[in-house]
Amino acid sequence: MRSRNGNSPFVFTSIALICSLSYSADNYYIGYRLTTKNAQPIEESLTISKAMQPCSREILSVLSLNNPSSESLSSLLNHERTRFLEYASSEEIRLQSNEKISPEHIKSLQTLTLPMRCYAVEFNGDLVTISLLK
Amino acid sequence: MRISTVIALLLSVSALHAEFFSSDASEQKVKCVYSGTDGQCVEPILKSENELVITVTGLGVAPSVTSSPAQAYALAKRAAMVDGYRLIAERIKGVQVEGQDSIKNMMLQQSSTKTSVEALVRGAKINNTTFKEGLCEVEMEIALSYSRVLH
Repeated sequence: MRSRNGNSPFVFTSIALICSLSYSADNYYIGYRLTTKNAQPIEESLTISKAMQPCSREILSVLSLNNPSSESLSSLLNHERTRFLEYASSEEIRLQSNEKISPEHIKSLQTLTLPMRCYAVEFNGDLVTISLLK
Repeated sequence: MRISTVIALLLSVSALHAEFFSSDASEQKVKCVYSGTDGQCVEPILKSENELVITVTGLGVAPSVTSSPAQAYALAKRAAMVDGYRLIAERIKGVQVEGQDSIKNMMLQQSSTKTSVEALVRGAKINNTTFKEGLCEVEMEIALSYSRVLH
């Protein structure tokens, strides 16, 4: 049956693509912590764990990364850590900051934490799509 | 016929005036926190009908030993982002300040000040990044509104 609206096929294709993305992608829990001392990074940790149970299918935001050499998720995120941090931190971060000021010196210590959240990760040729799930 | 046209014209003109003045009034609803010393506007107050945008610039430095300029840039940018988030948290939530002075025989022996902030930040974004001579500056902004807070 043909639709009167010419845009309907495009809309259905988009919905099908989003549904297939949320169904076929693997779910991973990803967390990140960065500690800086006097405005210099001193410690960084990225934690990736495959989800044992499927997460929610509601997508909050999407990041697309190029993966020409077909790297694993952990090695890709190690290379693209700044982009991932920029993407994920726009949703939610926790920050703890302490400064000590004395006549002799100033010492500052800050810790930024991306809470463990569930992401749908889909490898599609040279492209990896990482979607933050609700 | 002509009288009704004139009345309609007058009503439309008065409605336009009312809309013009009401838009002026809504712009003036953004109030400020005034400092006690000079009466200058220190910080605008978030009102239910306005959105408050806070912009900060975070600074970060690359470690002295890095394997490449690209790594130095990436690390400095991450540090600058952390500093930017700290500034946002300090502006929105405030800073806890603790001071300690030690005095012996009426003379100051030791003085130290500690500041701390702990916050959860949602919805901040990076506007601009500059990197020059090992120093990275990240301009960040966060928009505050009642709808976001309640969401």
